[in-house]
Amino acid sequence: MIINQFLVLAALLFSIGIYGVLVRRNAVLVLLSIELMLTAVNINLVAFGSYIQDTLRSGQVFALFVITVAAAEVGIGLAIVVLVFRNRASANVDELDLMRW
Amino acid sequence: MSLSAYLPIAIMALLASGFAAISLGLSRLIAPHNPTPEKLDPYECGIVPLQEPVQRFPVKFYLVAMLFVIFDVEIVFLFAWAVRFTQLGWYGIGAVGIFTLLLIETLVYVWKRGALDWNVARRSRRRPAVVEPLTEKAA
Amino acid sequence: MNMNLLAVAPEVIVVVAVVALLMIDVQWRPGPVWWAIAAAMGIAGATAAVALQWVDYRGADAASFFSDMIAIDGFGAFAGMVIFPLAGLGLMAAWPLIRSQGGRGAEFVVLVLIAATGAHLMAAAANLIMLFVGLEVFSISLYVLAGFTRERVDADEAALKYFLLGAVASAIFLYGIALVYASTGTTSIGGIATYLRSTILLRPGVLMAGMAMLLVGLAFKVSAAPFHMWAPDVYQGAPGGVTGFLAAGAKVAGFAAMARVLAVALGGRIDDWAPAVAVLAAVSIVLGTLLALVQSDLKRMLAYSSVAHAGFILTALVAGANGIPDMWFYVATYAVQVLAAFTVASVVSGATQGRAPLSDYTGLASRSPWLAGMLGLLMLAMAGIPLTAGFVGKAAVFRSAIDADYLWLVIVGVVSAVAGLFFYLRVIVLMYMQAADEESGHIPVPGGARVVLVAVGVLTVLIGVVPWPLLTWLRDALPL
Repeated sequence: MIINQFLVLAALLFSIGIYGVLVRRNAVLVLLSIELMLTAVNINLVAFGSYIQDTLRSGQVFALFVITVAAAEVGIGLAIVVLVFRNRASANVDELDLMRW
Repeated sequence: MSLSAYLPIAIMALLASGFAAISLGLSRLIAPHNPTPEKLDPYECGIVPLQEPVQRFPVKFYLVAMLFVIFDVEIVFLFAWAVRFTQLGWYGIGAVGIFTLLLIETLVYVWKRGALDWNVARRSRRRPAVVEPLTEKAA
Repeated sequence: MNMNLLAVAPEVIVVVAVVALLMIDVQWRPGPVWWAIAAAMGIAGATAAVALQWVDYRGADAASFFSDMIAIDGFGAFAGMVIFPLAGLGLMAAWPLIRSQGGRGAEFVVLVLIAATGAHLMAAAANLIMLFVGLEVFSISLYVLAGFTRERVDADEAALKYFLLGAVASAIFLYGIALVYASTGTTSIGGIATYLRSTILLRPGVLMAGMAMLLVGLAFKVSAAPFHMWAPDVYQGAPGGVTGFLAAGAKVAGFAAMARVLAVALGGRIDDWAPAVAVLAAVSIVLGTLLALVQSDLKRMLAYSSVAHAGFILTALVAGANGIPDMWFYVATYAVQVLAAFTVASVVSGATQGRAPLSDYTGLASRSPWLAGMLGLLMLAMAGIPLTAGFVGKAAVFRSAIDADYLWLVIVGVVSAVAGLFFYLRVIVLMYMQAADEESGHIPVPGGARVVLVAVGVLTVLIGVVPWPLLTWLRDALPL
């Protein structure tokens, strides 16, 4: 089995995710970018698990946990974004500048 | 596994996009094209649109979406359990039972708190918020 | 399947308490008294369970259970003995805030309990999967707590910043785990350690990248510079009653995870990561101290000081597993001090308020001598004045670093500690040497906060004067 394609795909997804986190202004899109990063990790975990023929299937099990935790994280993240949106009628992360220095 | 294994997928993708492009392009080229103001209205039957078509979703949708995502994805663990159902035996049933009980507990709590009530006015009437004012230094 | 209920007893007890609290609260609405009872029972039970683990399994008897997922060892037990009482103190300090939130107060109590469970799970994890789950349970609870007062704009801002940066850090941490898994073939912490000790990696690039990403993710969680940007904003924006537990818990849990991952799992590779940790430590100490000097808000100043303290704690970790007792000493004493300091801030500046401008503290000694005395003692302890626990902690971590031949790091630390005296003493000068602007009157201290402050004050002085019992004890607080 050749693992390179999976690793390249995962690395690309992760980089796109980081790019989105750094560049996007809308908090929901930042949230999506974070999800992209977690998905990249999942691809990596499953690919590695299959590549090294782990009899415990740690990679796949880990991926399941990452999926559930990501769902919980998205739930909380959306709730916080909705809260911020209610209070200032905008979900633009650049406007979060009440506190600096 | 090499890249040639993906050849059928590539051909499929080419065919699909080609079909879409050809049918859309042909209809654009062949179809008669004489627009009138009435035809460009959002509702050709004559109803005057009263507001912008793109509306924000009410926040309640987000609440339901969040709850759905959480409860939906937790089921992932049941798949893993189902794959090894016989080998795990009673241990697995016990573990999944505890897991499900906790999920049900969460559902009951969410329900009782009124997060599943679509009508928010009803929820606030049933649950008067008892807020004790905090004695705080005047800002 | 080696099951041992004692291994999961702290978690089970807390979860049972949480379920009972929520179900009875939502059905009969018995109010804050019931919350206090349920929380006290959960925390007392969990503390008893970890104490039992400590008695039975510390030192050489450590073992792991549930298919090598959870360990019972001195390390995890000691972490539990710090984190659960810390949650209790945090709840006591936050009680005015909890009561001000009406029916939602129950959720606050639950979130603190769950966060404590997650933190203990991180410390007791024998597998990176468990460690990650614990980390997320802990972090997600804290994201919610940071924005708990829904109507205050700076609290939501704190919550959103904490969430976004924390989630990115988690993703980076996970990528690191995936790479370490790829190069060692296991996610078991003990398994990784054995593999790395017994195998010479011909091409360690993947492992190196994984280690770097693990380090970055964990450095975010403990707010070590240059990954500290979230800490000041979050500490300042979060409600006064929350910040103490947030800061203290994050340090305990983060460093427990860091010690497990770096000193145990990657212990065979200490020559690769120790220099990086040393640089992180030096940058944190210097940057934290410098930025704390120029703050005009007590909570923000404490946040930058916590960055510097993260650096001091990292100083112990450059010694690898040998530094773990000293790390624990510093973490435990600093955690209670920072909790108490933020408690004073919440009493003086308001439990639901985010900001705590230093002008609130001018002439505090004449208005509220007791609070001023406590804050003064805590400042001295954090500065590391002799006869306080802070001094012993600093001495201990410096000793670890010297043993590991990191003399330059110790010099940086000592110089910065002296410079740090200025901003700690500035608060004391402000409280004692200057008159209050307007006669704001005496500040009433809530009962819970009073208990927290007395307990922490006594502990800080006691451990500062006779540190040996704790230091001897901590020799058993070693990981598997």
